[in-house]
Amino acid sequence: MSVSFVLRAGERGFSRLVSSGPNASYISGHPDGLITRHSSFNFHEYQSGIAGFGCIRVFGDEVFSPGGTGYNMHPHHNFIISAFVLGGALTHVNTIGKVDELRAGDFYVFSAGAGGKHAELNIGQEDLRVLYLWTLPGQLMAPPSYLRGRFDAKANANRPVCLIGNESGALPIGQALKVSRLVTARNSTPVYRPSPARGVYVFVIEGEAKIADIVLGARDSMALTGEDRIEIAARSGSDVLLVETAL
Amino acid sequence: MKKYLCLGCGFSYDEERGLPDHGIAAGTAWADIPDDWVCPDCGTPKSGFEMVEIPYWSRP
Repeated sequence: MSVSFVLRAGERGFSRLVSSGPNASYISGHPDGLITRHSSFNFHEYQSGIAGFGCIRVFGDEVFSPGGTGYNMHPHHNFIISAFVLGGALTHVNTIGKVDELRAGDFYVFSAGAGGKHAELNIGQEDLRVLYLWTLPGQLMAPPSYLRGRFDAKANANRPVCLIGNESGALPIGQALKVSRLVTARNSTPVYRPSPARGVYVFVIEGEAKIADIVLGARDSMALTGEDRIEIAARSGSDVLLVETAL
Repeated sequence: MKKYLCLGCGFSYDEERGLPDHGIAAGTAWADIPDDWVCPDCGTPKSGFEMVEIPYWSRP
């Protein structure tokens, strides 16, 4: 077992972005609109933490207040941005021509490639809770693309399910990357089998999971390398995201 | 010569190529670009760039 790092929930970077003042053009919504963002890796003004892991560069745990709060249309190149909606509703608009609404369990993969813009909005009446994962692409300047999927926790309990990656039923991605999600309906100890040449970033969304004798609570995370077998002792009602990446 | 990608909007800079259209000669190191230079894509000043070195470059 080789543990690269353990990052507790409270050790992450924290940003509070309001829709008025210096960020008014970047953050949309009512003047009291608010986004909170916990960053697992260095991002924007948070630069005192971990720079990234493998091809993962950003992992944001974000909450958008209701009434139109979000990120106005803005450009990207090359990064592959994935969003996993945990609660509320996310309206995603992009320059590929897609206007989409995603709810809890829904996720997307937006590859900006040679250039793409997107807006991320909460036009609903309740908080939007969403995880954002940014990864470097395997090839630069690819044509931009957007795909969406849905994770059905009830039909897939107690085992890690591949959401993104080169597996049947998963969304394909232009990178040596695999994102899986584990939701437990009882105390379970499933085994995740990564390629030992890759690393795995494990983020506990809810509940509690023990890996390599390290107990992770809600929003705690860790990274492992050199494993071909990761045993995850998860309590009933846990929700865990696993991101397997080339190093 | 190195290649970089900025976390902001994904602006890419290849030191070998420079950005002649934006006044940066080929072969200019990222460190030698003036601090008041702004991103031609998103307008962020150089002081706000978050450059990550990319170890590969596949040209289309």
